[in-house]
Amino acid sequence: MVEESILTDDFLRELINVGEVDLLVGLDTFNDAKTVGNVMQAVRAGLLRYFPRLRTVVVNADGGSRDGTQELVRAASISDMRHVSNLSSLRTLHCISTQYSRESSGGGLHTILAAADLLRASSLVVISPESTNMEPEWVERLVRPVAKENYDLITPIYRRHKFDALLVRTLLYPMTRAMYGKRLREPIPTDFAFSGRLATQFLAQEPTPSDVGRMGAELQLSLSAMSGDFRVGQSFLGTRERIEHGAAELVPAMRRTVGVLFASLENFAVWSAVKESQPVPTIGVEHEVNLEPLRVNRKRLHQMFATGVAELDPVLRSILYDTTLAELKALALQPEEEFVFPNELWATTVYEFAASHHQAVISRDHVIQALAPLYRGKALAFVLENRDASGVEIEKNVEAICLSFESLKPYLLEMWETGK
Amino acid sequence: MPASQDALWYKDAVIYQVHVRTFYDSNGDGIGDFRGLAQKLDYLQDLGVTAIWLMPFFPSPLRDDGYDIADYRTVHPSYGTLDDFKLFLEAAHQRNIKVIIELVLNHTSDQHAWFQESRKSKDNPKRDWYVWSDTDTRYKGTRIIFIDTEMSNWAWDPVSKEYYWHRFFSHQPDLNYDNPALREEMWDVTKFWLDMGVDAFRLDAVPYLVEREGTNCENLPETHAVIKDLRKRMDEHYPERMLLAEANQWPSDLRPYFGDGDEFNMAFHFPLMPRMFMGLKLEDRKPITEILQQTPAIPESCQWCIFLRNHDELTLEMVTDMERDYMYDEYAKDKSMRLNLGIRRRLAPLLDNDRRRIELMNGMLMSLPGTPIVYYGDEIGMGDNVNLGDRNGVRTPMQWDGGWNGGFSSADPEMVYSPLMLNPVYGFQALNVQSQKRFDHSLLSWMKRLIKVRKSTPVFGRGSIEFLYPANHRVLAYVRQLGRETVLIVNNLSSSAQAVELDLKRYKGNVLIEMFGRNLFPRIGDLPYLLTMGPYEFFWFRLRRI
Amino acid sequence: MWQIIVNELTQATRDIVHSVARFLPRLLVMLVIVVVGWVIAYVLRSILRSILRVTKFDKLSEDAGASQLLKKAALPASSELLSRFVFWIAWLGFILVGISVLGVAGFQEQIPRFFAFLPRLFIALFVFFFGLLASSFFSRAALLASVNANLPSPKILSLTIRTVIILFSVSVGVEALGIGEDTMLLAFAIVFGSLMLGLALAFGLGGQELARRYLENRFAQPKNDGRDDDLSPL
Repeated sequence: MVEESILTDDFLRELINVGEVDLLVGLDTFNDAKTVGNVMQAVRAGLLRYFPRLRTVVVNADGGSRDGTQELVRAASISDMRHVSNLSSLRTLHCISTQYSRESSGGGLHTILAAADLLRASSLVVISPESTNMEPEWVERLVRPVAKENYDLITPIYRRHKFDALLVRTLLYPMTRAMYGKRLREPIPTDFAFSGRLATQFLAQEPTPSDVGRMGAELQLSLSAMSGDFRVGQSFLGTRERIEHGAAELVPAMRRTVGVLFASLENFAVWSAVKESQPVPTIGVEHEVNLEPLRVNRKRLHQMFATGVAELDPVLRSILYDTTLAELKALALQPEEEFVFPNELWATTVYEFAASHHQAVISRDHVIQALAPLYRGKALAFVLENRDASGVEIEKNVEAICLSFESLKPYLLEMWETGK
Repeated sequence: MPASQDALWYKDAVIYQVHVRTFYDSNGDGIGDFRGLAQKLDYLQDLGVTAIWLMPFFPSPLRDDGYDIADYRTVHPSYGTLDDFKLFLEAAHQRNIKVIIELVLNHTSDQHAWFQESRKSKDNPKRDWYVWSDTDTRYKGTRIIFIDTEMSNWAWDPVSKEYYWHRFFSHQPDLNYDNPALREEMWDVTKFWLDMGVDAFRLDAVPYLVEREGTNCENLPETHAVIKDLRKRMDEHYPERMLLAEANQWPSDLRPYFGDGDEFNMAFHFPLMPRMFMGLKLEDRKPITEILQQTPAIPESCQWCIFLRNHDELTLEMVTDMERDYMYDEYAKDKSMRLNLGIRRRLAPLLDNDRRRIELMNGMLMSLPGTPIVYYGDEIGMGDNVNLGDRNGVRTPMQWDGGWNGGFSSADPEMVYSPLMLNPVYGFQALNVQSQKRFDHSLLSWMKRLIKVRKSTPVFGRGSIEFLYPANHRVLAYVRQLGRETVLIVNNLSSSAQAVELDLKRYKGNVLIEMFGRNLFPRIGDLPYLLTMGPYEFFWFRLRRI
Repeated sequence: MWQIIVNELTQATRDIVHSVARFLPRLLVMLVIVVVGWVIAYVLRSILRSILRVTKFDKLSEDAGASQLLKKAALPASSELLSRFVFWIAWLGFILVGISVLGVAGFQEQIPRFFAFLPRLFIALFVFFFGLLASSFFSRAALLASVNANLPSPKILSLTIRTVIILFSVSVGVEALGIGEDTMLLAFAIVFGSLMLGLALAFGLGGQELARRYLENRFAQPKNDGRDDDLSPL
């Protein structure tokens, strides 16, 4: 049942005023005032254009912003109290907002799910407040399969630059696919839609551990859908802009994604039984890639990989087998132009990390941090391999990585309990 | 003689719209008449209405339900004689019921003597009483009103070999108000009825009186001048009469018809009506409050006329395309119900014969600002016959009892002017005045109580309105005020129970007295006032500081 | 004369017998105490072992790197070690109490001092252990962070942190034991102070460039001079 205590009295009052809805749009924010305004415009336009007759509400679960994010969300509401010129709308659109404690388990998504449960929403869509180039069509492409075609979960597919989101392409996608058997290109989505049925079931499960954080709940939801009797699909949305990230942002990103993925493996029964992966129904195009040339600082990637392997030797020794570590050391000696990171070695490395993470040979957070330089190496190898590749070739290379992960899964199973 | 001394009687009125043909047949020819109507005045007095609006009863070929007039100064023989009408008028006045009749100024039937003259030749003295042209290209761009039947606003007259202008059916040629003789004649017509004692006129199709090239031929200043002139003459010689405008326009376009209180006394608020139905289906008050927010203020002596249904289709001209599609999909799934950008159904069938919704809509009708009009038969919840052509489905005979012809006429059923409703739900055996009179819980009894409460205070007819905007968008709440009298109205537009918190800080300290049962409700304090309401429920509260 | 010798012998024998007779009950009591003490110590050890198992103490010490040290020294696992240690201390305590009952002179004064020493011993061991834990954890954290932030000489930083923490915990522990407190403290202060001074000089003079760049990266807006684009992982 729903943890009603996570909803404040004021928020509950607002929910009473909203009443039953057909569609609930969820936004999980934290100091997103720069971008949330535009996102709300796109969401609202999408709702009015494609679903004008649906009873809809926008629920914003905010982690304690101090920059006016919540007010920006509320300002997008449409009612007879607030006259919005040039906007022709059949219905009132409530945009309500509440704060949640960032220490609580599940965080924003749980608040959104609780609200959806109380309002008996039959479809839900979660939008990232950072999707600055979002278009109204995204709402339609996410919601229509759930609302009209009986899908339970729709994850997004973006058209991205060929070197963007490499962590997803080289690690998250291959590994989730190998572990859980479904070929979801974005296993940890920030824009996605799902059915009320899936939401209710997910809420009824055990609460997740609190170190799972903001992205953990999204992955948990995906996994719930993949392992249960639910209809899962992916829908092409549009171009996703490159978000400028400094080198320092890699580790937090890995904590939120790889860390969560590794933690999810604790539920051994779910992934150990999966033998092979199945494709997932896709709506719209699947493999569009932006092939603009991009200057990548390959030297720095190479240097960070080599340094990482050398300097982190004592740490890697407790995580990896000696043979694997030796191979990595050999790689580090390769000159940058000829750098190659074989897929088998990469999959083996990742799996050994996963096993060590499970056994907690050292602090789990440190395990994740130690993986970062190695990922940089793989990213470099990917960039070099695909610098002149076409979209089709890139796709083949990604598929090769996936197949390595899938074929080496028995190795992970073997290692799981025995450890180093 | 006018019945009361109050010049603003129309602000407090409750109007009953009826066609004499449909009400009661006294002479057994299958058609309702004035003697019959006079006999039923007791029923109307008992119901509580204070004015009757009669649909056109003039001689007419009846190709547009009497709006195609062939003689302005007498009564169609089917309905009786002019003397019968005078008797009826007197009987109504005796019961303090005002009488409003139609005056179709814009056009006549092509069977009218004037047109017969006018078309004889191009030199006829009455030629210029109508609008003739040798081409059909003048006044291009003027919209066609009956789009389902007419292709053009010009019709070819084979007799005088010219085109004549008609904004409505081709057999209804438009009169030419640029002709002074015609205007004098129309004043004479008006005087004729005023002298007889008629209290008010509903002027049909006013926006279209005058045409000018390069305009859309609607709402022109010349048209307003014609009306102002009429009103001036009326006020001079016949005080306490009333002019009611029928103009299907946006409220801001209607405002000019009130002038400075020197033109029309009343006008129909057309755009509100479809939005009430829309709000009910959407379960959202937004369409209703928005149209009333956009309604301009009108002179103190003027009044809006509001209604739920009438003899025409439920018009969807004054809504957006998206709204019209929604209304069609929700209220007229069967395409045969759609006509001329509207829906031709009666109130009860539109609301799925749901008693609660019927009550709610009538409650809003009686409490929103304006003079309410009840369409005959809606007080007992009559049904409609979509299979009758044009808009005749909502003009079936009044159902008085479960007997012969529903108590409407002693004639053979085949002779009755229209088939009666026979199905088990809306048929006259099940649904009629006599059976409803017997029971306290019938719709008829309820309507009587509703009208009685409405008349118990002038605040509904003359008071101001201020909307409350509770966060629960399914609740429509507003406060009516007149002097020290304050009434709070709360309507639940939703099919499910609702909780609503009203911000009544301004009225703190008042006790709420529910107006139907006269029971006390808690006093307004500092906190928002919480009300819980059943599906489609509404409250009228009188606020009293004790 | 013979009579005197016999009398003396008899007297001496009687004295000895009296002494023994007086001693025996005390010996008995001592033995009882020792046995009881053994039982209690054994119980304590078992309880401690269970508690440590429940709180996953072994994992904690693994994290600290203490387990590895112990393995190298061919000692049993930390929880086992700790339990046994507690057992011995407890039993030793009871033995001492038993001995004090014996009434052996000179011992009496030492016993209270022993018991007063015990808490300090525990504190010192406690500090050593957690100091080891912390040094291992933080040095590793520093290593990872500096490698991922691409700072130069991550190993040195890591080692420095480990050394500092160990030194610090050693000196606190030694102070708790009460061994040459002032000396230790002073020695630590000197070492630590000079180390810091050295580092400050090194950083200040030699690492200006590095420090500036590091601060820029952390706090200033990244300058996009178009020379290279960073990959975004997600």
